[in-house]
Amino acid sequence: MLDPHNLPDEIRDLPDAGFELAQTGEIKDEVFHTKPIGFYRDALQRLRKSKASMVSFWIIVIIILLALIVPNITGYTYMEQDTSKKNLPPKIPGLESLGIADGSQILTNRRRDSLDNPDRFPEGSVIRIVREYELSGVPVVDVMVDYYTFVGVDDDVYHWMGTDYLGRDLCTRLFQGTRVSLLIAFFAVLIRIVIGVIYGAIAGYYGGKVDFAMIHFAEVMDGLPYVVVTILFMILLGAGMFSIILAMTVTGWIGTSRLIRAQFYRFKGREYVLAARTLGVTDRKLIFRHILPNTIGPLITKAMIEIPGAIFSEAFLAYIGLGIKPPNPSIGILLSNGQSVLLQYPYQTLFPAVLISVLMVAFNLFANGLRDALDPTRRGED
Amino acid sequence: MPKQQNDTTGNSAIANDIILKVADLRVSFRAYGGRVQAVRGISFDLKRGETVAIVGESGSGKSVSVKTVMGILPGNAIIESGEVRYGGMDLTKVSEEKFHEIRGNRIGLIFQDPLSALNPIMKIGKQITETLRLAKKMSGEEARAKAIELMAAVHIPDPQRRFNQYPFQFSGGMRQRIVIAIALAGDPEILICDEPTTALDVTVQSKILELINEIKRERHLSVIFITHDLGVVANMADRVNVMYAGKIVEAGTTEEIFFSPAHPYTWALLSSMPDLQTKERLQAIPGAPPNMIYPPAGDAFARRNPYALKIDMEKEPPYFRLSDTHYAATWLAHPKAPKVEMPAVLRARIDRMKRSGMLNG
Amino acid sequence: MADTPYLLEARNLCQHFASGRGGKRLTVKAVDDVSFGVRPAEIFGLVGESGCGKTTTGRTIIRLYDPTSGTVTFDGREISGGMTRGLRRYLTDNIAMIFQDPIESLNPRMTVEEIVGEGLTIRGVKDKAEVRRRVVEMLGKVGLTNEHATRYPHEFSGGQRQRIGIARAIITHPKMIIADEPVSALDVSVQAQVINLLNDLKEEMGLTILFIAHNLSVVKYFSDRIGVMYYGHLVEIARGDDLYAKPLHPYTRALLSAIPEPNPLTEKTRRRIDYDPERDHKEDYFSGNPVMTEIEPEHFVYCTPSELELYRDQVRGKADA
Repeated sequence: MLDPHNLPDEIRDLPDAGFELAQTGEIKDEVFHTKPIGFYRDALQRLRKSKASMVSFWIIVIIILLALIVPNITGYTYMEQDTSKKNLPPKIPGLESLGIADGSQILTNRRRDSLDNPDRFPEGSVIRIVREYELSGVPVVDVMVDYYTFVGVDDDVYHWMGTDYLGRDLCTRLFQGTRVSLLIAFFAVLIRIVIGVIYGAIAGYYGGKVDFAMIHFAEVMDGLPYVVVTILFMILLGAGMFSIILAMTVTGWIGTSRLIRAQFYRFKGREYVLAARTLGVTDRKLIFRHILPNTIGPLITKAMIEIPGAIFSEAFLAYIGLGIKPPNPSIGILLSNGQSVLLQYPYQTLFPAVLISVLMVAFNLFANGLRDALDPTRRGED
Repeated sequence: MPKQQNDTTGNSAIANDIILKVADLRVSFRAYGGRVQAVRGISFDLKRGETVAIVGESGSGKSVSVKTVMGILPGNAIIESGEVRYGGMDLTKVSEEKFHEIRGNRIGLIFQDPLSALNPIMKIGKQITETLRLAKKMSGEEARAKAIELMAAVHIPDPQRRFNQYPFQFSGGMRQRIVIAIALAGDPEILICDEPTTALDVTVQSKILELINEIKRERHLSVIFITHDLGVVANMADRVNVMYAGKIVEAGTTEEIFFSPAHPYTWALLSSMPDLQTKERLQAIPGAPPNMIYPPAGDAFARRNPYALKIDMEKEPPYFRLSDTHYAATWLAHPKAPKVEMPAVLRARIDRMKRSGMLNG
Repeated sequence: MADTPYLLEARNLCQHFASGRGGKRLTVKAVDDVSFGVRPAEIFGLVGESGCGKTTTGRTIIRLYDPTSGTVTFDGREISGGMTRGLRRYLTDNIAMIFQDPIESLNPRMTVEEIVGEGLTIRGVKDKAEVRRRVVEMLGKVGLTNEHATRYPHEFSGGQRQRIGIARAIITHPKMIIADEPVSALDVSVQAQVINLLNDLKEEMGLTILFIAHNLSVVKYFSDRIGVMYYGHLVEIARGDDLYAKPLHPYTRALLSAIPEPNPLTEKTRRRIDYDPERDHKEDYFSGNPVMTEIEPEHFVYCTPSELELYRDQVRGKADA
């Protein structure tokens, strides 16, 4: 507290120049010093800062690239059968010298003397004997063999993930299957969203009786049991990609339409929507320009969460025998086939299982990141 | 800084008995983009039986400062420095358990939004008796009787029946009365009102203000009253602290602030809003309040202030004493400053106010 | 002035909202039998407490809601009837609205240029440069510059956003503006900016304004005439000074007595008057049909015939004194 009549020296003797009016003209609004940032740029910036979603994003991209490239470069096709080389274990060039993925397999319970029979065990097929013991007085061994040599395949043949019971290259089939599964999921979700958005937008925007009728119709649809609907479609249209996609969308759009309807109810009474109405903006423009963009955040998030769900439903359908037509692979078909020989050839299940898990986790994490990035209440945050 | 109020005591010991003292309080918030310096070194005190108003617009730090006093700052707040002296304690350092006791029994709080202050699924009576049983360790019957007494004290008609109703059955004004009853349940000596009437209609507002004044008189409460409405200040306050950008820019008795304001922000605040007699063009304050992540150098108001001096832009003004109770942080009070008069519009309005005061008084 | 025909006139306007179905059906009479007129280049203030129907009245006039009954005419043409393309066009060309919430009323995903220019683009102004030029001109009128045009709403302060909302409303040069609580969500220090701006624009563009607010001091300062609303009814209409000097309807008196004035000398001794419809009106106010009656020139009160006499006496008494 300073007494103006009895000021300390350093305050009293401040330079006179400071005591002049500083602003004589009109005082204007301050100008901005930053660059304008659009909504999506802002969201992208925030998405980039989330490590988990960026890692997930790149994993998804890599898997998609693999699905596009791998089936074309393995040298096999997904339907090429060769019963002479069925159930081969994985063999990858380069890694074989390290002792993994070298095409070796342990054969159990073989007679000790059959090892010397070149018809049974061709030259160089035996790598080492794992265990020696006697069974009913007969000497038997568990022996690790180079399975490729064992079945008489050329030395330069490689199946990175082995082959299945028909001798088809599993690596080709897995990524071909990923292609199919992703396509099914993508189109199923896309169609769900298109129908859901249109349906939900109309119900939400117009409200009243329209809404009442539409929402009750959706409730009835939602009551239909999913598996029954799918089987009906399979019977009607035959097994195939198209009928699976249709089966997944028959009731799948209802969730999206509920989301969109709720968003429309939330936004149609907002003052800026009212303001646009008082300017004479048409219903169509109000829906598409003013209200719908606000639903894009939740919508993209929902789509991203639904994609792994759809992949999983496809796998489920394949598993219960309602999958796409053979010889076309899908992740679900591969899992279903692998499951029947799980104990003998675990790698046939392992690779598709790992892939579907990684895919689902990645999509879910990415969806979470997107949801946060697109949340308009967090606009402008770093 | 308001030490002199201690020094000049003596004429009336009771009137100058300081019950709560805030000294050089600084509070900031961790936020995206930096640290928001919400309160930047404020000091004020509250004497027994008086009402001190803190006036300011949103973001001025008025609410944050009382939240600090009540120990209810959100998790991302940091008390950078300063203390809140009350009953021999520094409230900025008191444990949460201790604070529970203080909040229930000694300091009552009334919020802006009565609806969010009440539990929507609990009967009104239960919400009052709960406080009584916790704070006063009363038995069920005792608490019930006391609660009904409190409801009558805040003029809730038919309290016996209302006791068993839910908040949604009450109007906004009645809800605020319930909140006041709950605040009074612990028999506090200090009542903190954080914009208690902002969400209410004028006719309801004036009833609530009347009620607060009445219970203050009857219970000898000391009141800290936060508001942005100068009309409410004129009604309630004995002394006024004007806050801008986290600082108290001017403090004084209500008469001093209204009739001889010294800080240009106070001038602007007083002359920018029309009263029922205003005919002339309003004195608008240009620009917008500053971003408190980067508070401007010097006087935070300088960039919006047509009376700003060059030194205001660089050097923060100290508090200049204008009377024993009145001080302002503006370089205009420095002897070297040019003689700047308050805006003519404001001068005219003050004269008019004084005249109508004479007529009425 | 008093005999100038009304530009906007509402006659017995009702807006009832129904909720629930069947036995639980509830009708809320948000606006009930409201009649008033606004003259060209006049500011008509509509004041009342929350839920009194003032906002609904404004929104019904601009047809955000379809009126339940009653008529509204603008410049002699009825604007309350069935909605046609032509009527929509007529309405939006002539009346614009300013909203309360400076955050809510601007689309967060559009730039200021798109927001302000929308009124032009939907009227078929295709030329981008022309839209840009007129947007910048409007921004200049509200104290903003062309460098603000490419910005998004969240970058602005409350007062600036409200000015953007005003620019959006006036870019099509409407004859009338309905301003719904345009300052009540703003900080005290910027309210005056917006009020002064509206005043300047009114002078410059000859605007007629229906000003809706709950702050009677602001309404009185800004308006030529004031209508007071209470629970869906318009209870009194008068020139600002008359309303303040000789309020007749007991609710108006209560409202006036409740306004806190920034004057510690008078404020501490102010006497508040309560309004209790049961006590302050005679039986026939509820059973009979009160109507809007002109007590003295330009001063209307919603009253029954028996009250009319009482009010006449009061006005005469004031005049004598």
